[in-house]
Amino acid sequence: MISATQVLQAADDGPLKLESILKVLSAQFAAVPSSKQLVRRRRLDTFDRRLEAAGLMLEHQIVAAGERLVLGRSDGSGTMAVSVKDPRWPALVDLLPSGPVRDAIAPVIGVRALMVSSDERRRIQRVDLRNGEGKTVARVELDEPASVAASPAKLTVRRLRGYDEQARRADRLLVGLGLRAVEQGEDQLPGPAQQMPVTDRAVPATALLAVALSGFLATMRENLPGLLDDVDTEFLHDFRVAVRRTRATLKLGRPALPEAMRTRWEPAFKSLGDLTTPLRDLDVYQLDLPSMSHWLVTADPTDLDPLATHLGRRRAVARRELASSLRSTTFRRLVMQWAEELAWLQDQPEGGGRKALSAGRLADRSISRAHARVARGGALIGADSPAGDLHGLRKRCKELRYALEVFAPLIDHAARKRAVADLKGLQDVLGRFQDSEVQRHAMRGFAEEMMAEGTTAGAVLAMGELIGHLDVAQERARREFDAAFARFERPSSLQLMHKLGGAR
Amino acid sequence: MATYNIKGGVGKTSTAVNLAYLAAREGRRTLLWDLDPQAAATYMFRVRPRVKGGGHALVSRKRPVQAALKATDFDNLDLLPADFSYRNMDLELDDTKKRTSRLGQLLDSVAAEYDMVFLDCPPSISLVSENVMHACDTLLVPLIPATLSLRTFDQLTRFVADSQGSRPEVVAFFSMADRRKRLHRDVIDGIARDRTRVANTVIPALSIIEQMAERRAPVPAFAPTSRAAQCYEQLWVEVRPR
Repeated sequence: MISATQVLQAADDGPLKLESILKVLSAQFAAVPSSKQLVRRRRLDTFDRRLEAAGLMLEHQIVAAGERLVLGRSDGSGTMAVSVKDPRWPALVDLLPSGPVRDAIAPVIGVRALMVSSDERRRIQRVDLRNGEGKTVARVELDEPASVAASPAKLTVRRLRGYDEQARRADRLLVGLGLRAVEQGEDQLPGPAQQMPVTDRAVPATALLAVALSGFLATMRENLPGLLDDVDTEFLHDFRVAVRRTRATLKLGRPALPEAMRTRWEPAFKSLGDLTTPLRDLDVYQLDLPSMSHWLVTADPTDLDPLATHLGRRRAVARRELASSLRSTTFRRLVMQWAEELAWLQDQPEGGGRKALSAGRLADRSISRAHARVARGGALIGADSPAGDLHGLRKRCKELRYALEVFAPLIDHAARKRAVADLKGLQDVLGRFQDSEVQRHAMRGFAEEMMAEGTTAGAVLAMGELIGHLDVAQERARREFDAAFARFERPSSLQLMHKLGGAR
Repeated sequence: MATYNIKGGVGKTSTAVNLAYLAAREGRRTLLWDLDPQAAATYMFRVRPRVKGGGHALVSRKRPVQAALKATDFDNLDLLPADFSYRNMDLELDDTKKRTSRLGQLLDSVAAEYDMVFLDCPPSISLVSENVMHACDTLLVPLIPATLSLRTFDQLTRFVADSQGSRPEVVAFFSMADRRKRLHRDVIDGIARDRTRVANTVIPALSIIEQMAERRAPVPAFAPTSRAAQCYEQLWVEVRPR
């Protein structure tokens, strides 16, 4: 296997001269250069850079002889490649050729699509460094820009397994030429600019709220193109999360924010959230279908094929409707006016709110109230409580979670992390309960629609099995509720909340 | 995947070297272990036939397998070189607790790094062979199309069938075949393909395959459009894991 030991550049980031490189290396090796190759290098990653976060680098390299996907670690080690034929980006992992490259990236990128994050034309020249037997013991790769805007020329020394000493020798020879080592991460792509969080408890609450809300607006804007192009389902998911967080923040910020936020913007974001729900629900059913097929006991997984087709059709309609709404003048105006509103809010020296409330005070008050509502709601849940009450409690839990997130810069980090972990246990149980409830009803609705269209008996029977499974799952979640709520209300959790300004 | 035959000079090493190269070319992280003290595969990759501490250090685990691995000149293809001390590997294995599964255990230690491992075996029936049977999923057996080869192959299939524990799939193929010879044609056409899996690909006796030792590289690397390269590619398509 081959890995990079060192990446070098000219001290002034200028061009590198092959003649000098060969001359210095020839002192200890037979340096055999290959002919120059023009390579188009398209760096691939998901929108949220999952590969980069996992220390991986994936490139779609196009040369005269063909195209290939090359996967390596960011430090240049562990390279593997697979030939591809005219792939189109963005693409989901299923569309890549099967083999080790796909196997390595599939668990990292999940449902996200691979997109082109940079596209450069480079001239690559490889120099094999050989020993007396004619065996290549190290490689040097000269990588020069073929266009003006591309990054500077660099030289990579590649170590061959079992020949470490020879690569070190090559390194020493090249450093002697006056080249400098490129720091790790120096050639990584810049991430999106982020606003500094407010960490001063004394600043007006509106300043903190404006920063948080602007961040959510930025997320909505970043995800909009991918959502409209239907690149992958996570664009809609992240868009919706930003909308939900906006709504929760507006609600938490009511004591500090101007009245217009409540009367105009809260309903506006509720409508926006509702607009996206049908498509997201259908996405979830489609994504869950492969695992749902494992629930089947008597039916065959292929019996669910008509359901998959039905979901696909429904999704196409829902997507068209959502895309049309998000491309409308109404939506564009909404986003523009919201951005103006936030800019105005940020410009108010005293916060522009009804009362001059500090960020710290609002944090304590919001966490305290949100916690009290969860505690009160949970205590009222009994064996006969209707599903709606559990759903209501789930919403209260989400509000508390958002409060802990929005005010995170102002509260103790470790205590917040533990409080979120405690809350997550309760949210998980309530989430499973509610998802089963919703999915059961939806499945029944799909079955009725499909029967009206003359679907097969096998499909309906298989969906009946799924409903049965969801019944059992909901019952299980209901049984787990008391223990989860008791954990949430245990003294150590209350102490944590107290530390965060929550429990009284 | 192990290339194995009780007889020598039947094309085991050529097959192991060429198929390992093709596996690596497909993007599979590949290791070739040259178990033959004659070190022909090691020579073809221009690697020094030496393992520090010899076979004893490897089998007794005094040195990890990783420390002995060498990259070849080809992407994705590493070599565990031969060492002349491998001639005593039977004795080394006999001294270990799990004498018939030790080679497999050694390979387990590098399993996460590779998608394919090829074992190029020495010609014999021995404790090394038993280890190879346990370690591999596919036993690839080159056969020269001759009556005695078939007899030896029968001995081998009986040996595999009688061995304890997990048994590899045995896949035979004809190697060094000369269609101009009537006997070769008769044997190839007459083999009872139902008694075991026999690959459809026949590797002919071609001088370019012999040139591997001179060029010190796999055939598809130095003669990619040659008939020999095409034959090995066909064979690989037939025997590679799905």
